[in-house]
Amino acid sequence: MSSAAGPTRRRRPPLLVVVVSAVTIAVFALPLAGLLGRASWSTLIDDLTTPDAVDSLRLSLICSLAATALSVLFGLPLAWLLARVEFPGRSLARGLVLLPLVLPPVVGGVALLSAFSRRGILGEHLYDWFGLQLTFTTAGAILAETFVALPFFVITVEAGLRSMDRRYEDVASSLGADRWTVFRRVTLPLVAPSLVAGAVLSWARALGEFGATITFAGNIIGRTQTLPLAVYLQLESDPDTAIALSLVLLVVSLTVIVSLRDRWLGAS
Amino acid sequence: MMNATMKATAILVVLAVALTGCGSDDDAVSDTTAPQTAAATADESTAAATPAVAGTITVSAAASLTGVFTTLEEAFTAANPDATIDINFGSSGQLSTQIQSGAPADLAAFADEAPMAVLDKAGLLAGPAEIFARNQLVIVTKPGNPKGISSLADLATAGIISLCADTAPCGKFANQALASAAVSIPENSVTRGQDVKATLTAVAQGDAEAAIVYVTDAAASGDSVATVEIPEADNVVAKYPIAVLGSTQNIELAEAFMAFVLSDDGQAALGDAGFLSK
Repeated sequence: MSSAAGPTRRRRPPLLVVVVSAVTIAVFALPLAGLLGRASWSTLIDDLTTPDAVDSLRLSLICSLAATALSVLFGLPLAWLLARVEFPGRSLARGLVLLPLVLPPVVGGVALLSAFSRRGILGEHLYDWFGLQLTFTTAGAILAETFVALPFFVITVEAGLRSMDRRYEDVASSLGADRWTVFRRVTLPLVAPSLVAGAVLSWARALGEFGATITFAGNIIGRTQTLPLAVYLQLESDPDTAIALSLVLLVVSLTVIVSLRDRWLGAS
Repeated sequence: MMNATMKATAILVVLAVALTGCGSDDDAVSDTTAPQTAAATADESTAAATPAVAGTITVSAAASLTGVFTTLEEAFTAANPDATIDINFGSSGQLSTQIQSGAPADLAAFADEAPMAVLDKAGLLAGPAEIFARNQLVIVTKPGNPKGISSLADLATAGIISLCADTAPCGKFANQALASAAVSIPENSVTRGQDVKATLTAVAQGDAEAAIVYVTDAAASGDSVATVEIPEADNVVAKYPIAVLGSTQNIELAEAFMAFVLSDDGQAALGDAGFLSK
């Protein structure tokens, strides 16, 4: 953290600030504490190893990792373009790609349906020409998760690219390196922290996706029933398993946040 | 300068995401008022036969009652202008669990006796439950039935089939009907919806080939789906109980609305929607 604010003074913070902060932290800690309290610890391992639970854990892992890979593959060139190249409509392009950040996920699912279902504007042709159906498939779940996760990657990496010192790139070019070499040997290492942060954020977002997945890919055990869907639908029939799965998601999310803390607030 | 601005923007974006809730969207599909379908014949005069009641009650009603209970609510409040009836539609299993967890409701109307029996056993009912309607299952397909489905057996090979979750009465009954017909649909072809409306939407709006829902839901969907009958031998009769809950704050209004549902006019509206008589 920058210490350019002047000499630090050893004074107690204002009481009101402390009280409000304590209340806020308590409000956020209570749900976690509640979950830990309601969990059935003695049956935890059994609950997590039921066939449906294993299916949803496996699916979540596969889909979220695939969505992250796609986000990196497609997000990196886009982030580079948005950060480096001035082109007409750049703001609009950025707005479109970042839209899923604020769009309610189920709306995203409906939008995906209107584009990629068998009656959708593109999906219709995919089905008629190639017999390809994305809805109710694992690929569809990956698509839904990528739709919501990629913007996280793009926004993080674009920020990193904008804030890095470009003189290194210029020097490398002047020394004779071609653009790809400059990108590979100079740019990428310099934005590596943003790349990692972006990938981790988009992975966490993909893992937790519910609305778009259930709307577009449906809820098929072993095929599209990822962790959040399993939790939601098993809450009635098997609450102990649902809570055990919730704990898994909670622990993962907490780890992500804690590990990213320095990345967000530290210098890039 | 740009450094700080981009960071601030990024942090704001993360906060915005947290606010929009990238987690569960459980108000996604249920709790929406369905379009009006069969003309309601619920006569206001029956609702006004007893002295007008006042106040507000919350009714937890099965999703399959969306259309008809909205109609009944409108008729009742037209005759009793000081009464407000808020209806919470959802899967009967979910609603029953909510009530057991202390959700405030005055009246419960479910699609199966089992979730009501659970409430009774837990001592949560103010009075005995009464059956007010019955329903049966039907197969719905895309308009025109492109896959030529003519029986439950055809569902095993038709593609993606939409069924209700096991904890929803329609899911439990669909499982029973399939078992009775000795049909087994491969698990990776079955998508489970959290209530009967979501289940039907997968066919009406999505790419599921067919679904097993109630006759009344198929009727409410009109032309957006085609129907295939399930033979009586395999079909299931769902009995719909209604009861006043012990946690009610307005027992007169709750009992009045329950009486209205059980009255001739309430029954006529239910019949128009496709329900079998009680």
